Amino acid sequence: MILDTEGLKPIYLQIAEWIEEEILHGNLDVDDKVYSQYKLADMYTINPATAAKGLKMLADEGILYDRRGLGKFVASDAKTIILEKRKDESIDQLMESLVKQAVWLGMSEEELLQRVKKVWRERTNENR
Amino acid sequence: MKIVKCRDVTKQYGKVKALDGINLSMDENKITGVIGRNGAGKTTFMKLLAGMLKETSGRVDVFSQRPFNNLTVSVNTIYIDDQMNFPPTLTLVELLEEGRRFYPNWNHDLALGLFEHFGFRKKDLHKNLSKGKESAFNMIVGIASRCALTIFDEPTTGMDAVVRKDFYRALLKDYIEYPRTILMSTHYMDDMEELFEDVLLIDQGKVKLHIGMDDLRGYAVGLSGKKDDMLPWLEGRNVLYQKETGFDDVYAVVVNDDQQNDWNRMGNIKRSAVRPSDVCVYLTNDKGGELEHVFRSGKNE
Repeated sequence: MILDTEGLKPIYLQIAEWIEEEILHGNLDVDDKVYSQYKLADMYTINPATAAKGLKMLADEGILYDRRGLGKFVASDAKTIILEKRKDESIDQLMESLVKQAVWLGMSEEELLQRVKKVWRERTNENR
Repeated sequence: MKIVKCRDVTKQYGKVKALDGINLSMDENKITGVIGRNGAGKTTFMKLLAGMLKETSGRVDVFSQRPFNNLTVSVNTIYIDDQMNFPPTLTLVELLEEGRRFYPNWNHDLALGLFEHFGFRKKDLHKNLSKGKESAFNMIVGIASRCALTIFDEPTTGMDAVVRKDFYRALLKDYIEYPRTILMSTHYMDDMEELFEDVLLIDQGKVKLHIGMDDLRGYAVGLSGKKDDMLPWLEGRNVLYQKETGFDDVYAVVVNDDQQNDWNRMGNIKRSAVRPSDVCVYLTNDKGGELEHVFRSGKNE
């Protein structure tokens, strides 16, 4: 991962999302130990406190759990939590701007839905 | 633990107030970026902490002691800038040896490792170094000393981009291994912002901001759009900067005041990030201080 230091997204969020992706891709399994704040700080040349903030967020959301003195580990339902969270965050957010744009272009609800369905069909066929 | 405390601190040079009522405290083991325009008071502030200057009024405490003329503070603090005076007859390696003798936490392996990495020769003299090399050597002394309070005043003067990057990494790596309180003033904030945990913005001798780097990153937001959309929306908001960017386009930087619901109702106004360094510039720009005024009036005061 390359950190995006120009955008609106805070660094600690980018770190958290990167760990989430590692979990989704299976590079980090249930009960695996996650990189420490210091390891992350060294990897990305960021302040350890920033890395710690990302880890703490994941722990607060139940994606990681703490073992005192040993560090943070991947929780058993980490994947489910991440997927649900992404549905809420990214899909809803994309939908928001999609609808906004469609309204601005004077599109009807029906037309937008048709287009979504069309893209859906094309994509799911491609993957088969 | 609060390692630095300032209460109503003022420093006056003749009639000029370099620092004017500084109140703050700093937590132990944080890296704080000290930011501000030239002449804002950054150097004076850091020299007070290092005990190199005495406050005119108010009270500075470092390690719960007054730093001026104080041995405890002296041995636990290092102040690195580009005007460091080393004994002129000692070679660079001998200077490192002296560092080892004076600073109790001195890491000599690290000092020699960095010395070699940056291509210094053992018998070189400090006064013969180029500007960039001099900064690099001072930086080695600053990192290797491992002082509980380590202060860098514009440490990267003259360094090329590669050396700067190496310096940041070396500092961070050693900080991870051996946490301590680090203050660093710089004009290269974009380069360094990921290193900072906190930022202290000084403006005209006063503390303008003292917040976490993450908070500074979200402190302001850039908005751009048509005048008709923008101007009503900007009404009553804390606008730090505003500029016309076309016939009827406006770009504005406003303080991000958590009115998230409002963002959704902004219609055709585009949001963008504002770099922390730019936030600092907008916060410390004098009113009417734009360069354009000089040219418009045709006179140079």
